Amino acid sequence: MGNMKIKAKLKGDVVQVKVMAKHDMLTYDQAKKKGIDANFITHISASVNNKVVYDVSTSQFWSKNPQFKFSFKGAAKGDEVSITWTDLKGNTVTESKKIK
Amino acid sequence: MDRRKFMSLSMVAVAVLPASLSAIDFRATKPDTWTAHTVADAIKALYGDIKPEEKGVKVKAPKVASNGGAIPVTVKSDIDAKTVAIFQDANPEATVCVFDVQEGGIVDYMAKIKMKKSGKITAIVEGTDGKFYAGTQSLEVALGGCEG
Repeated sequence: MGNMKIKAKLKGDVVQVKVMAKHDMLTYDQAKKKGIDANFITHISASVNNKVVYDVSTSQFWSKNPQFKFSFKGAAKGDEVSITWTDLKGNTVTESKKIK
Repeated sequence: MDRRKFMSLSMVAVAVLPASLSAIDFRATKPDTWTAHTVADAIKALYGDIKPEEKGVKVKAPKVASNGGAIPVTVKSDIDAKTVAIFQDANPEATVCVFDVQEGGIVDYMAKIKMKKSGKITAIVEGTDGKFYAGTQSLEVALGGCEG
């Protein structure tokens, strides 16, 4: 249990990863209405065996509690996928999951 | 620990490190991209003056999105890519996200995005051959998602 729900599955030689992260992803417009600061995830990175396999710079237009999927090659069953996100305020969360 | 062993170990660590730090933070390197209001301006800020070919990039999104707060968008391409960027023309700013494609990475990305109103999603793929490719998909948004 934690911030992210991660599913990683090996199919053939391709690993498919599905992630759901918990974050409000407040846009500037939404934040203004509520009278608080905007805050959203700005960068997500995933790595396996110390090698980056997924890397994205994001904007406020990802949905609330963003879900995303990606695939990559070059990992085996039992390897750990570790995913890190950073938001506008500098909070970071890292969680990992073994590839099934 | 044996000193010689320690030295060689730290050498290995140094050699390995740059590879794991190869990721690019496009927010830091291309700040103008994120404040651009039109798709054309955003592309210009990110890649410069380019003329992408409209082929080889598939953008998948529902034709009618009932909830603009979470629209699943999939970008697929068989092109050997260096970066992939997603833009849309419905929100105040155009850029949605920029992927830095890694070695062994496959261009098959899905993300749920927000759109204020109906509009067009544009995906640009920067190939390792230095060429640019584009794909677009228009969709209707029944209920805008940006005002929450």
